[in-house]
Amino acid sequence: MESVKESIVIDCKSETVTSINQMIRDFAKNNIKEVIIENPLARHNLGVCITDPIHLIYNGDVGYYAVSLCDKVTATINGNCGWAVGENLMSGEIVVNGNAASSCAASLRGGIVVVKGEAGARAGISMKGGTLIIGGNTGYMTGFMMQKGKMIICGDAGKALGDSMYDGVIYVGGKIAELGNGTKVEEVSEEEKDEIKSLLDFYQIEPPPSFQKIVPNGLLHHFNKKEFRVWKEIL
Amino acid sequence: MERNLIRKSKVWSPEKIEEIQEKAQIGRYRIRGQATKRMDLPSFDDLVFTPAGLSRVPLEGYRERCDTKVVIGEGKVKRPLVLETPIMIAGMSFGAINAHSKKALGIAATRCGISTCTGDGGMHPIEREYSEKLVYQLLPSRYGLNPYDLKKADAVEIVVSQGAKPGTGGTLLGHKVSEEVAKMRDLPAGVDQRSPCRHPDWMGPDDLGVKVEQIREATDYEVPIFIKIGAGRVYDDVKLAAKVGVEAVVIDGMEGGTAASPEIQLDHTGIPTISAVVEAAQALYDIGMKHEVKLIIGGGISNGADAAKAIALGADVVYMGSAMLIALNCQRPIYIEDYHALGTEPGACHHCHTGKCPVGIATQDPELMARLDPTAAAERVENYINSITMEMQIFARSCGKSRVSDLDPTDLRSLTLVTSYITGVPLVGLGGKKPYFASLDHGSSFKDLLKV
Repeated sequence: MESVKESIVIDCKSETVTSINQMIRDFAKNNIKEVIIENPLARHNLGVCITDPIHLIYNGDVGYYAVSLCDKVTATINGNCGWAVGENLMSGEIVVNGNAASSCAASLRGGIVVVKGEAGARAGISMKGGTLIIGGNTGYMTGFMMQKGKMIICGDAGKALGDSMYDGVIYVGGKIAELGNGTKVEEVSEEEKDEIKSLLDFYQIEPPPSFQKIVPNGLLHHFNKKEFRVWKEIL
Repeated sequence: MERNLIRKSKVWSPEKIEEIQEKAQIGRYRIRGQATKRMDLPSFDDLVFTPAGLSRVPLEGYRERCDTKVVIGEGKVKRPLVLETPIMIAGMSFGAINAHSKKALGIAATRCGISTCTGDGGMHPIEREYSEKLVYQLLPSRYGLNPYDLKKADAVEIVVSQGAKPGTGGTLLGHKVSEEVAKMRDLPAGVDQRSPCRHPDWMGPDDLGVKVEQIREATDYEVPIFIKIGAGRVYDDVKLAAKVGVEAVVIDGMEGGTAASPEIQLDHTGIPTISAVVEAAQALYDIGMKHEVKLIIGGGISNGADAAKAIALGADVVYMGSAMLIALNCQRPIYIEDYHALGTEPGACHHCHTGKCPVGIATQDPELMARLDPTAAAERVENYINSITMEMQIFARSCGKSRVSDLDPTDLRSLTLVTSYITGVPLVGLGGKKPYFASLDHGSSFKDLLKV
C-alpha cells in the first residue's frame, strides 16, 4: 500500500477481501478522497457497505457485488463486472467502462449506475430509485418488479422487459424482444428527450436515434379487478 | 313419495361449495391470512415423552437446574446471538402487523432474553428500539433494506421462502399498504403488493455463498447469518444451506402463518413441521454438521410440548409467530360485532389480509390499532413465553435432562403408525415386534401354555 497525496493505492494481490473493504472504510472515514484498486482479479465483494464519501477506481475486472450496499460512494470500474454491481446503492455514482453481468444495479435505491457496455439479465431488477444507464444491450427480465427510478437502455432489451413494474420508467433505444406483463408504451416528451440526451452526453455515450418509453399499465395494482389475462401470468 | 334424507357430501362439502361459489364471483383464487386449516396433518401431538422411571433418574423440579440457554454463532462471529430460552419470535413484517404489535413483541422478547425478527418490509424504528435482539430479514423483495439497518441487526436471516407458501413471494393487499408502509417499501400507497419469489441478485447455492460473504463483509463478521426455507425439499435444501456456511438454518413447516396467501397454497404446498424437523436434522447429521449449524424450526408451534418435541427430534430453537399474535390478542372474543362484520367469529378468524383486524394487530388503521395496548399486550406475550419455557423444562426434567437441549429422540414414542414412520420414533407398545405369546394359538397344548 502506498500513499500519493489524497489518493491511495491498494494492490489486491497481497490483501484479503476483508482487509481491502476495511481499508476502504477506514480511508473514507479519514476523508481520503480516492482509492485506486489495482489487480482486483475479478474477486467478489470488493467495496461492500462503504457509507462515507470516497471515490473508488478499480483497474481491472471485478467479481460479484462490487460497490454494493454502499452510500455516498462514487466509483469508476475500468473493466468488466460480475453479478450485481451497485446492488442496493443508496446514493452516489458508479461508472462501468466495460460490461456488467446479471443483476446490475439490483434494488438500486438512489444515485446513478452507468454501464458503458452491455448488461446481462435482470438489470435494474427491483429498482427502488435512482438511475441506471446501459450503453449497450440488456437481457431477460430487465427492470422486473421495478418500483421507482429511471432506466435508459441505449441498445436492445430482452424478453419480459419491466415485467410487473409498480412504478418508474424505462427508456429503450433499440428493439424490445417482448414487453413484460403490466407494462405499456408511452410517448417520450421533449423534456424527457432533453434530459436523456444531456445524461448520455455527460457520460459520453452515443445516443440512439430515438427511444421508446415503458411504464406500468396499472393492471396489476389491484387484485379486485378482473384481469384474468394479466393475473394468469403473474398471480 | 320417496323420502330423501338431508345428507352432507364429502365430495361436495359445504366448504367446497362455498369455495366454488366465491371463486365464481371474484375470478381468481382466494387470498386469506392465518395458516392451513387442514385437519389431517401429522403433528407433534402424535408423540409422547417417555419420562424417567427406574431406568433413568428424573430431575427435582424445585431444586435442580434445567438450562434453557442457546447461543447461535458461538466461536464463529464476534457477537453471537444469545437466547435465554430456545424460542425466537418469527418474522412478521411491518405492514402485516403494525407498530403497536411490534413494540409489544419487542418488549416481551427483551424481558425474556429472546429475539424478534423484522419480517419483510424493512426495520421499523419501533422494533429496533424495543427489541434488544433483532433479526433482520433479507428477502427477495429487499423492501426497506439499507446498509445502516443491516449494521444495527443482531443477526441476518436470508429468506428463501416461508412455510405457508413456499415457492412464491409475499402478498400484502392494498388496504394495508398505508402511506408509512408504502414509504418503507418504496411502493405506491394502496397497491396490492406481490413480492418476488427469487432474490434479485443470486439464483442458486453457489451464488448464495457469495451473497453470504457479502453480508459478512457488510456486517464485519459480527453477527450470525441464517438461511430460512419453507419446508418442501428439506433434506437437500438443508444440506445446501449448511454448506453455504451459515450459523443457522431455519425450516418453516407448512403450518406456518401468513398475513395473506393464496388459500389453495396454504393447504396444498409444503410438508408438515414434524416431518420437516426430522429431515432437516438428518441432513445435518449426514454431512457431519449437526453440531456446527443450529437448526431453527417453525410452523404451528403452540406450546411447550410442541417445542420440546421439536427439540428432541433435532431442532435447537423454535420459531413462533402466530402463537405470539394470539398471545397479543388475536382471536380474543372482544369487539365481536367486528368479527361478525367480517363474516367470522373469534377462534376462526383469518382476515389478516383485509386490514380490518378486530383486535388491532394485523391492521394499519389507527382506530383499530388503538385497541391494542402495547404495554398490556407485552405482558401477555411475556407470560406466554415464560409458560412455554417452563413447559419445556417439565419435559426435560421428567426425562432426566439438565438441559432442554439434551432432549433426544429416544425420549419420545409415537402414538400413530404414520408419525412413527415419518419420524423414525418407535411406536408405543411393541412396535411390530412379536410378543411373547405370538407362538401360541387355539391349537397350542396346555403344556406350551404353562411355559409362558
